[in-house]
Amino acid sequence: MIEKALKGNRNYWLWIASLLAVITAGIVSYNSQRWFGLTVTGMGRDVSWGLYIAQFTFLVGVAASAVMVVLPYYLHNRKEFSKTVIIGEFMAVSATLMCLLFILADMGRPDRVLNVLLYPSPHAMVFWDVMVLNGYFMINLVSGWTVLGAERRGVPPPSWVKPIIYLSIPWAVSIHTVTAFLYAGLPGRHLWLTAVLAPRFLASAFAAGTSLLILVTLVIKRTTGFDTGSDAREKLAVIVTYAGIVNFFLLGTEFFTAFYSNVPSHMHSLQYLFFGLEGHYSLVPFMWFSLLLGLGSLVVLLLPGMKRSPKWLAAACSGLVVSIWIDKGAGLILGGFVPSPLEEIVDYQPTLTEVGVTLGIWAIGLLVLTLLLKVAVSVKSQE
Amino acid sequence: MRIKRNILFIAIPALLVFAVIGFLLQSGNAVETPGAPPPPVAVDSTKCIAQTEYMRSNHMKVLNEWRHSSVREGNRVYTAHNGSRFQKSLNTCLGCHSNKLFCFNCHMYANVKPKCWNCHLSPMETP
Amino acid sequence: MSSVAHGDTVMNKERRDFIRKAGLGVLAGICATSGFLPAFSLEETILPAWDEKPVPGKIRWGMVIDTRKCLGECNECVARCHHVHNVPDFGNRKDEVKWIWKSGYGNVFPTSTSQFRSSEVLQRSYLALCNHCAEAPCTRACPTEATFKRWDGIVSMDYHRCIGCRFCMAACPYGSRSFNWRDPREGIKEASVDYPTREQGVVEKCNFCSDRLTKGMLPACVESCPEKALVFGDLNDPNSDVRALLESNSTMQRKPELGTKPSVFYII
Repeated sequence: MIEKALKGNRNYWLWIASLLAVITAGIVSYNSQRWFGLTVTGMGRDVSWGLYIAQFTFLVGVAASAVMVVLPYYLHNRKEFSKTVIIGEFMAVSATLMCLLFILADMGRPDRVLNVLLYPSPHAMVFWDVMVLNGYFMINLVSGWTVLGAERRGVPPPSWVKPIIYLSIPWAVSIHTVTAFLYAGLPGRHLWLTAVLAPRFLASAFAAGTSLLILVTLVIKRTTGFDTGSDAREKLAVIVTYAGIVNFFLLGTEFFTAFYSNVPSHMHSLQYLFFGLEGHYSLVPFMWFSLLLGLGSLVVLLLPGMKRSPKWLAAACSGLVVSIWIDKGAGLILGGFVPSPLEEIVDYQPTLTEVGVTLGIWAIGLLVLTLLLKVAVSVKSQE
Repeated sequence: MRIKRNILFIAIPALLVFAVIGFLLQSGNAVETPGAPPPPVAVDSTKCIAQTEYMRSNHMKVLNEWRHSSVREGNRVYTAHNGSRFQKSLNTCLGCHSNKLFCFNCHMYANVKPKCWNCHLSPMETP
Repeated sequence: MSSVAHGDTVMNKERRDFIRKAGLGVLAGICATSGFLPAFSLEETILPAWDEKPVPGKIRWGMVIDTRKCLGECNECVARCHHVHNVPDFGNRKDEVKWIWKSGYGNVFPTSTSQFRSSEVLQRSYLALCNHCAEAPCTRACPTEATFKRWDGIVSMDYHRCIGCRFCMAACPYGSRSFNWRDPREGIKEASVDYPTREQGVVEKCNFCSDRLTKGMLPACVESCPEKALVFGDLNDPNSDVRALLESNSTMQRKPELGTKPSVFYII
C-alpha cells in the first residue's frame, strides 16, 4: 500500500523535497547540539525547558484530538466523518512521533533513553507518558492502516481492529491527562500546580488539534481535490467552538483563583506572562496577541454565516491554532519557570540552532503525515 | 602481487603491536607495590579479587555490580573467593593495576571505547 | 585520620560516632590518605562489621546553618565545595553549575516573613544548597531513579544513569539542581583528584559530601567554615550536635509549606 506514496505530481515532489531540505538543516543543527551540548539552546539553569518541551506539549494535544472524529464515527456511527477519520488517525500518528522526537531532542543523554524502560519507575510521570505515547502511536498506526488496507481490497475491516479503535478513545484522553500530570504534580511551580491543568489541556487540545484537522482537510481538498465533506468540517467547527470556549473559561478561572486569593506566588507567573514582572515584559505582547486572536477566532466561529465560508473557517481555525500554540507552548512552559524557585526572573529566547532542530522535527512530522495521507487519499479516491 | 605486499605491510606491524600488547598485558597483571622488590613471575592470586581469566572477560560486569551496590545500596565491601576483602572502588582496581597503560592498551587493541575517563580521573592524569 | 578536622579533642566520642555512622573504620584512614593515587592495594584490610547493606532510614544526615555566624564577604565553603567536587565555572548564568551558593533572604526564604524584619536580617546573605528532603519531589519525578533517596537520607545522583531530561530540575522547589549544558571539564580551572567530574548532559547537585563521609570526613563546607557556622550530623540521633542545636534554637526550613521536609535548618 505504501507504494501509493511514491506516485505524485510535480508539486507533491517539490513539497517532499523542501521538507527533506528542512530536515537536513534540522539534522545539522542537532549535530551541533549533540557535540557542544544543550548550551547551544536558549535554555539555562533557570529556564531549563524551552521550545522543545513547548512543542511537545502542544503536539500531544494535536495527537489527542483524533478522538474528536474517532468517537462520533465509531461510537455514534456518524457517517459524515467516514472520510475524515483516517486523516485524524494519521495526524495523531505523526503528532505522536513528533512528541517523541521533541522529548529526545530535549534530552541531555539521548543515548541513554532506554534507561526509562530498563529502570521502570512508576512513581515518575515521564515513565507513564512514554508508555502512553508509544501506545497511542501504535494504536493509531495499526487501526488506521488496517482499516485503510481493508477498504483498498473492498472488504470489511478485520474484527480484531474494533477493540483497538475503541481503546484509542480513552487512550487519547489519557495521553493528554498524563502530559498535564507531568507539570501539575510539581510543588513550587505555581503556574502548573493546578488541578485544572489536565482539563484545560484537553479543552485546548480539542480546540487547536481539531482546528488543525479542519485545516488539513482544506489543504487536501485544495491540493488533491479529495473532499472530506463540508458537513464534517462544520460539525468539527462546532467541536472547536465549544472546546475553545471551555479553554478560555478555564483560563479565566486560573486568573480568578490567583488574583482573588492574592497569594503572591500564584499571581507571579500570570503577572509575568500578561502584565510583566519587575521590568520583564518580553512575553506580554505574545500573550495578549494569543488571547485576542483566540477570542476573535471564537467570535468568527460563533457567527453562523462566517463558519460556512471556507475562507473564514480557515482563518478562524488558523487563529485558534496560533493562539493556543503561543499560550500552551511559550506561555505555559516558560511561565512555569518564571519566577525561579529563588524568586529570580530570567528571560528565555530560543537560539537559531534550537529553532533549526524544531523546524527539522516539524518537517519530519509533516513528511510522515504527507506520505500517510497520500496513501489514504489514493485509496479513498480509488486511484 | 601488489595486494600481497600491502598485506605484509599491515600484517608485520600488526603482529609487532600484538606482541607488545601481549607483553604489556602480562606485566599489567602483576601486582606492584611501590618500594617492594619487583614482583615474582608467578602472580599471587590471593591478592586478586577474582581469577584473571574471569576478570579478563567480565571486569566491566564486576565494575558495574560494584558501582551499583556501593553507590545505590551502600554495600561498599567486596569479599573475594578466598575471603580477602576489598573496598568497591575504582581506586582499588587502579591501586593494584598501577601500570598506567593497563586499561588503555587492551581497550585500544580490542577497539572498545569505555566512557569511564569522561568523568573519572584516568590513570594517565594522576600524578 | 588527619583529614577529620573537627573540634579540638583528637578523638572525642562524637567524632567516633560520626566515623562509625559514616560507615568506615579502618578503611577511612587508608582512603583519606590514598585519594586517587594508585599507590597501594587495599586487600587484607580488617574491616568492621558494617560491610553488610546498611539499614535504610536509620541515619538521616542533616545540617544546621547558624546564619548569625555566617560572614557576609566570606565564600570559603562555596569555594572549597566547588573545588573538591570539580564543579565547573563558566562565568555566565546560563551554563551555571552550583552545589552551594549565597543568596538574599527573599530569595532563599521567599515564603517566610519579611515584613518588619530587622534590616540586618534582610541584608545578611544565606547559604542555599540541596535540602536532602525527606519527601524529595525530585526523586519522585525522575524516570530512571538516577536520583534517589539513600539509606542515610542523602538524595543522591547516579550520573551513570541520568538521561538529562531535567525533570528533577523542574520538580525541585529550591533551585538546587544544575544541568551540564556543556562539557564541564572546560570550566574547571584547578582539578581536584578527590572526586570525578561529570559529563555533558547530566544533572548534578550537592551530595552532602557522601564521598567524604565514606572516608570519615565531614562535608567540605562544614570543614572549611572559619566561623564554624555549619554543623553536620544525624538528625535521627537525639544526642547529636544538630539535634542539640535544633533543641536550643528557633530554626527555619526553606518553604516548609510544600511538605518536602528539608534536612537543612537555618538559625536566623
